[in-house]
Amino acid sequence: MKKLLNRWTGPAPAAWLCWALALGAVVLAFLGAERAGVWMARPIMQVGVAFLMLVFFFVGVRAVLRRRFDSALLHIGCACVLAGWLMGRYAIRTSTAARPCTGSMVMVDGDESDRLWEGPMLDQYVGQLPFSVRLERFFVERYDRNSDDRNAGRNAPVREYRSRVTITEPGRPPYVVNIRVNEPAFVCGYHIYQMSWGNSTDQLGRPVVYTVLQFIRDPGLKLAYAGFILLLAGILIYAWRIFRIQGTQPREVPA
Amino acid sequence: MTVKMTVQGGLIYLTLVFFVATIIARRGGWRTIGNAFWGTGFVAAVASVIWRGLHTGHPPMQNLFEFFLCMAAALWPLSVLSRRHNGLDTTVQDALLGVLILMPAGFVFGEDVRRLPPALQSSLFIPHVGSYVAGYVLLARAALMALPLFKRDIAGDRLRQTETASRQTATIGFVLLTLGLLLGSLWGKICWGHYWQFDPKEMWSLATWLVYAGYFHERMVHGVRAPRVLAALLWTGLLFIVLTLTWINLSRLFVGMHNYA
Repeated sequence: MKKLLNRWTGPAPAAWLCWALALGAVVLAFLGAERAGVWMARPIMQVGVAFLMLVFFFVGVRAVLRRRFDSALLHIGCACVLAGWLMGRYAIRTSTAARPCTGSMVMVDGDESDRLWEGPMLDQYVGQLPFSVRLERFFVERYDRNSDDRNAGRNAPVREYRSRVTITEPGRPPYVVNIRVNEPAFVCGYHIYQMSWGNSTDQLGRPVVYTVLQFIRDPGLKLAYAGFILLLAGILIYAWRIFRIQGTQPREVPA
Repeated sequence: MTVKMTVQGGLIYLTLVFFVATIIARRGGWRTIGNAFWGTGFVAAVASVIWRGLHTGHPPMQNLFEFFLCMAAALWPLSVLSRRHNGLDTTVQDALLGVLILMPAGFVFGEDVRRLPPALQSSLFIPHVGSYVAGYVLLARAALMALPLFKRDIAGDRLRQTETASRQTATIGFVLLTLGLLLGSLWGKICWGHYWQFDPKEMWSLATWLVYAGYFHERMVHGVRAPRVLAALLWTGLLFIVLTLTWINLSRLFVGMHNYA
């Protein structure tokens, strides 16, 4: 029994598992991001990922017992990333209107809200945030118009999208944060992203610029990042080991 | 196929001439002259990267054209370091690789300047793209170094030296591939809201990573007893890299969030 288990969790089946997973990744690439995401959200795929996580964890723990710490870090790191991803999926599955996981809000200057929406037109109600957000002002800044732009008769490309918002958390005085692309804010467990923007008109037909803020809560994020660090440490130790054992002498190669 | 009549084009063609001269000189037996050409080619490649950076006003890693320029500039240091480490002289194949890399940059890709969109304005831009540049170059070199492993009569010290050199190169490339993947994931969380979005390019990079992970597992199984399998795996990995760089970037089949090229 033990011999069988060792054989089936050794490097040879692992190599085959790598080919199989690579093939699966390519298939998902052909499906495209959206359909692949929907497919991976199905329970059967999550059971598969959970199984994979347990295998990685088992191999990692066994590597610890065998004092192969690079292998241990790599496999436990993979297990942590998968566990973090599963935690995120579980949070989405069990999210309620009182504690939503993801959602967006459309705002024009001066709006205040704590309600999240989803769907292509952002018209499906998701839930309520534990804090409220007031958009002070939305800025779109462009690069200077150069000769290429003038020749093509167009505006210069956008340099920065920025939403200046006031956050009101319970039990804290309100404060102002700037939310840019690549610079999300973090409030009460939610990351707030500058997601989109556009031009529209208000009830009186006057042009307005609106901003779309996205709110994401992912309780598995820390575990996934911990997995990243373990993976990186493992891969560095692995590389160091290969260079140390083999040295600069080409003849000393252990089989 | 267009010839670039600009300073940028001139620098690229100059680099190409030096790389070709390296190959000719080394094949003709003039070792010192070949090395001098190789070093000068590196200077020209760096000059073309710097020129591009000054011209666009941002780190030249935005599209495939700039990515390929960076790859050509990364060749010489990697070649010298690897020669120092494992004693295998790969100047000729590195110069050949440089010619292959610079051909599309010189004759196919356009050199339009596009200003950096907000999504690319991040401190992770250079680390993420830079580790992929160096990682891809190293893995391409690992595949080229593994070519002698396909020969039927290779054995003994020569087999071991070749296998060691290609494996060590692939190891460093794999470290950089992992770093690039993880930094990209982190950047995805900061910029797009999630660290994994099943974007086609993400999935192809993961598949590439898995192919190389499989190579290292396979090496553990067989040791050096199956050199042809190992060489074939390194070439499969290179095939995945080439596909990631070309087909996935340029085809309309894979629509995703990596559409900057």
